[in-house]
Amino acid sequence: MFRRSLMGLSATLLTTAAFAAEPSLSDAESRAVSRAVRPASSEDAFALIPWETSLWEARIKAAKLGKPILLWEMDGHPLGCG
Amino acid sequence: MASEDFVPVTADDWYQRRRKDAEGEFFRKVASQGPRKGENDGTRQGIYVMTADGELLSFKNAGQNAEVTRDEIKRALAKFKNLPASRKNPGAVTVEPAGRLDPNYSRTPPPGGAILRTFTRILEKSGAAYSKGSCKTKGGDMAARDFAWFTAEEVRALVPAKAEVGFEYPLPKPIAERLTQFHLIDNTRGEPSFWTREQVRTSNFTLTVSAATAESIDLRLDGQATMATDADIAKADRGYEVRVLGTLRYKPATGTLDRFELTAIGEHWGDTDLTRGARTGRTPLGVVFSLVVGEKPSDRVPPQGARESGRYFGK
Repeated sequence: MFRRSLMGLSATLLTTAAFAAEPSLSDAESRAVSRAVRPASSEDAFALIPWETSLWEARIKAAKLGKPILLWEMDGHPLGCG
Repeated sequence: MASEDFVPVTADDWYQRRRKDAEGEFFRKVASQGPRKGENDGTRQGIYVMTADGELLSFKNAGQNAEVTRDEIKRALAKFKNLPASRKNPGAVTVEPAGRLDPNYSRTPPPGGAILRTFTRILEKSGAAYSKGSCKTKGGDMAARDFAWFTAEEVRALVPAKAEVGFEYPLPKPIAERLTQFHLIDNTRGEPSFWTREQVRTSNFTLTVSAATAESIDLRLDGQATMATDADIAKADRGYEVRVLGTLRYKPATGTLDRFELTAIGEHWGDTDLTRGARTGRTPLGVVFSLVVGEKPSDRVPPQGARESGRYFGK
């Protein structure tokens, strides 16, 4: 029992030490990171295109509108992978 | 040009080349008219122009010179305009509904759940300031995209036992595991590898009630995680030590979230076979998440990790 309590105390101290060594992310730092990560409008122009994501739905729409289909196909979704 | 003269559509070839349904058969029939016929289950990725009745008008590898690709698309448009009216006029071609979708290779967001959009970018840090990073890999400095999906049950599990300001409790395990294994990753140079459960070496995320009314409960999410390919972090050839901070707002009346903003920052190192070209050593990598409220098809793209949907949802 005593041994288990000691082990528990050691684990708590180790966890506390780990947290102490790694300070929380501040609101200011979070905002700075967010600004740097999010794409500027100039680098995200392709996202303004009204992409369909179902080729079959695109077929139906293309037939109705009398337009060809432009398919951008990648290993990894073009709008959701890298 | 893409918006006005075409019906633009995007797809993940991993699904399209495998799906056993009308959409998959149509795609493969069109693709087989070009150079990528999918021998040995090979990729068919590229930029295609086709007619609604299934004729390939042009094909180009993606990632080639933009001007070359644009010229090719223009030529394809000219070909389309030269087709007889019986194949190009509005309503001339009839397309029936797709019928049953192959459940193994189609994904839809969990009903009543939450969708987050994610961006990831390599960064530089100077004092307290962060800026875009640079690397030798073409496009590796751009913000990489993905989506995160959570089920309605997982959203409800975010609700605190006590809606009292200052009440703290751990982030529910399924959400913590989804974030660490599938979304705190480096996907800035292509298809990423995800962390296994064992490679998540530490994960401590705490939710704290920051405001509570009858209409909404505001939560603060903070914590840290370490993912590494070796239990001895110093020996790991790939890893990410990251801190996070976020804000969530839960609406009890609807059982939904109307805010989920999360920022993660830490040092990442290493790469994988499909993401070669990482910067040398430990360098800053940031990930931001925000709730998707739209209903556009492009808001409902499946997470890259959901290819293995059972593993993604912890099943």
